[in-house]
Amino acid sequence: MRPRIVLHIFRKDLVETLRDRRTVVMAFVVPALIYPLLFTLLGSVVTDKRGELERTRARIAAWGPVPEDTLKAVEQQARAEIVDRRALPPPEPELEARTLVAAKKVHVVLLTPPGTSGPSTPVRVLADSTNVDSDAMERRVSRALTDHAAELLRRRMTALGQDAAAATPLDVREEDLADAARRGASFAAALLPYLLLVLVATSGFYAALDLTAGEKERGTLQTLLTAPVRSVEIVAGKYLAVLALTLAATVCNLGSIALTLSRATAAMEAGARFSLGLSSAGAIFLTVLPAALLIVALLMAVGVLARSYREGQSYLMPILLLVMVAGFASFLPGAELTAGTALVPLLNVTLLVHDILVGKAGATQITVVWAVSLAWAVLGILLAARVFQTEQVLLSGEKPWRDVLSPGLRQARGLTPGNALAFAAVLLVLTFYGSVLVERRGGVIALILVSQLGFFLVPSLLWCRLFRVPLRDTLQLRWPTGRGWAATVLLAAGGWSVGAVVWAQLLRFPGARAYSDWLGELLGKQGPLELGTALLLVALLPAVAEEVTFRGVVLAGLRRSGSRWIAVVGSALLFGLFHVNPYHVLAATAVGLLLGWVALESGSILPGVLIHLVNNGAQVLLDRIPALAERLQSPLVLVLALATTAAGGLLLRGSRRPAPEEPPGPAPLPLASP
Amino acid sequence: MIEARGLSKRYGEVVAASDVSFTVSPGEVVGLLGPNGAGKTTVLRMLAGVLTPTSGEVRVAGHGTEGEAFHLKRALGFLTGDTALYQRLTPREVLRYFGRLHDISEAALAPRIEALVARFRLSDFADRQCGKLSAGQKQRANIARAFVNDPPALILDEPTTALDVVTGRFLLEAFREARAAGKAILLSTHVLGDAEALCDRVVLLHRGRVLDQGTIPEVCARAGAQTLTEAFLARVGDEVAA
Repeated sequence: MRPRIVLHIFRKDLVETLRDRRTVVMAFVVPALIYPLLFTLLGSVVTDKRGELERTRARIAAWGPVPEDTLKAVEQQARAEIVDRRALPPPEPELEARTLVAAKKVHVVLLTPPGTSGPSTPVRVLADSTNVDSDAMERRVSRALTDHAAELLRRRMTALGQDAAAATPLDVREEDLADAARRGASFAAALLPYLLLVLVATSGFYAALDLTAGEKERGTLQTLLTAPVRSVEIVAGKYLAVLALTLAATVCNLGSIALTLSRATAAMEAGARFSLGLSSAGAIFLTVLPAALLIVALLMAVGVLARSYREGQSYLMPILLLVMVAGFASFLPGAELTAGTALVPLLNVTLLVHDILVGKAGATQITVVWAVSLAWAVLGILLAARVFQTEQVLLSGEKPWRDVLSPGLRQARGLTPGNALAFAAVLLVLTFYGSVLVERRGGVIALILVSQLGFFLVPSLLWCRLFRVPLRDTLQLRWPTGRGWAATVLLAAGGWSVGAVVWAQLLRFPGARAYSDWLGELLGKQGPLELGTALLLVALLPAVAEEVTFRGVVLAGLRRSGSRWIAVVGSALLFGLFHVNPYHVLAATAVGLLLGWVALESGSILPGVLIHLVNNGAQVLLDRIPALAERLQSPLVLVLALATTAAGGLLLRGSRRPAPEEPPGPAPLPLASP
Repeated sequence: MIEARGLSKRYGEVVAASDVSFTVSPGEVVGLLGPNGAGKTTVLRMLAGVLTPTSGEVRVAGHGTEGEAFHLKRALGFLTGDTALYQRLTPREVLRYFGRLHDISEAALAPRIEALVARFRLSDFADRQCGKLSAGQKQRANIARAFVNDPPALILDEPTTALDVVTGRFLLEAFREARAAGKAILLSTHVLGDAEALCDRVVLLHRGRVLDQGTIPEVCARAGAQTLTEAFLARVGDEVAA
């Protein structure tokens, strides 16, 4: 895959889509207008209704021998007026009451059956809970009746010479612990996740449709297929264009919704206030990002199956409905983010956004949902890439799904960027859930052993076997040259010192410190580990297993993209992602960049294993010798370490043994005439 | 320059093309003729690397269809009724886009575009969106698009259909010039007059098979006909009518 060609396709598709008024209006203009209009209208309707109810006197019917002092108390306390007084109730009082309420003649009927005697007078309050006015007035009248009953009891106690206060053994007062901001956040948390997901889907809907089914219908997709571009470049360019539009529209609309809710929440929910801070908005955007990656991939994969714009609308509608169903979880009171729900695509994002808004979500939750969502997104992107490689789909043939699912196409030609990503996605899910299970049952030693061997090394070897690729070439099991080894020693010596200094700086951040403490606690759970055991578990095992996985299988697959940049950066990002904690992800990604580059330059996996081993081993030693760790925190050490690393890097360049020629890349074709 | 060797394409039980073989040499125009449904589009798509043959081999300027027909497509200009222009881009933007996809440097691309704009007389509408152009203007822009990489081989499917006489003549003249410049041109057309006027040889395709091929006099002689139209009708007309 050539990034510059992807960029050309991306730019063209972006320009073309932005010139399509329908897409721009549906993605940007309509939502930007609809939300303020909708919420302002709803808010004003709710506020007006609330004010109207407060101003209106309750219209009461009193049937039968309802005590006069009770009616007076209701008239005063509930701001009511008796509009229908009857000594005897009608033969069917419920039916008559329903008719009067429906005709808006009364809000509530008070009924005391004739012939009532004794110290307790029954008073039935007849109201219609489906009628907003009647329901509100019933609450007002009932409260007045309850207060009046308490007053009557106090009077009777006094008449009997008792202390009136004894009539109120419990003085109950309700007080809401949630302040206005929390009430506002709770209100928004029910609404915003749903709106966000639906926004992402609707923002990408028309752009995806236009660039897939629309292009097929207009015949321009076939024009593109005649150009010397690979299908993976086409799908990447189009995907990025739809994603960029979707994210831009989502950001605009998120801002619009946040502003609207900040104004409308108080009107919609009495005593509530809502404002979306920048950090929360950022966290929400990052949470929604992998969901957007998945939704756009699905829209593209399904959209391109359609032969016309109209057909595409029918095909994409189920995806929109699925997104709506997943987003609807935010309205369900019992739905919570658990290990199970974190696995369900889109639903996990809904629940996490909800938790972020109510202040329940932590960094680990965010990272786990992000990683799982990303794994789903990768699978979605692979599906889209596969569909775009099916000629029957691109040429509007009959039964395109038959070709998409045909075993002929399923058999991959060795490791490819697609199956490297699929492999990483499978490992990500396996590692996360497997780790939870193993940690609960087996403790830290079992956890490291199982994860390194069971989740990395063995699956990597099985993956190579499944795709029938030679281990020696795929994993680059070659002995480096003498110069390569010399460079490796310099890189290992300089690299871990730089790493130690950088990690020490990262530990200043509370999140990184908490993670480091947790790791230390985990490693010390079963008593301090022997140095040899610690080096084996934390240094040697990961150095071998993780290098085989990331600089072996993943790098080999990504190299087939034809771009060294994509191979190194992609494998480093995936390597980083497996380290869960955001600070550790950053550090591991940086290490991954170095290790990926070393693997390509040296043509061997072994230098990476040594650098990885030294890096992790040094961490174990530094944990045990704090004095040494402190000594390393000097500018001189950092300069020396950087110089050593740079020297190692320079020495490594061009040190690899001559290898068989790789497939030639596209060569520029000279123009026959200017 | 363009070679089809035993090309076949099957969709399940349906045979769209069967054992199709012919060549187009540099500086030659070969007409691919056949009634509707003869398999012309399938053959052209296979030659352009858009469709993978079930069996057989394609070579264009020495390149085959391996590796997503990458090098083959770089050596080819392809135009069919199905290859439309982007409605919301201008002809100049379309030329720039396809030039970039062909990896032509920006320095070489700008004069190349201007040369094509002048050659195909696009200047009056080169900066107007393609959706607002007439059929003739669109076809001229589309043919310019097929020439943007200055390919040694061209495949043109119905390039003059639905065009007025003036535009049709203008394009035929452009194809003659391309032939004179040494390009190999495969021309598929229903307009037998165009084929007679332009083609050095013709390939007669029917029901996915090559019925005959050769120079126009050779094909006419074998069919016992005076003109290409009579030869065409003699070979396929009765079956189509039936």
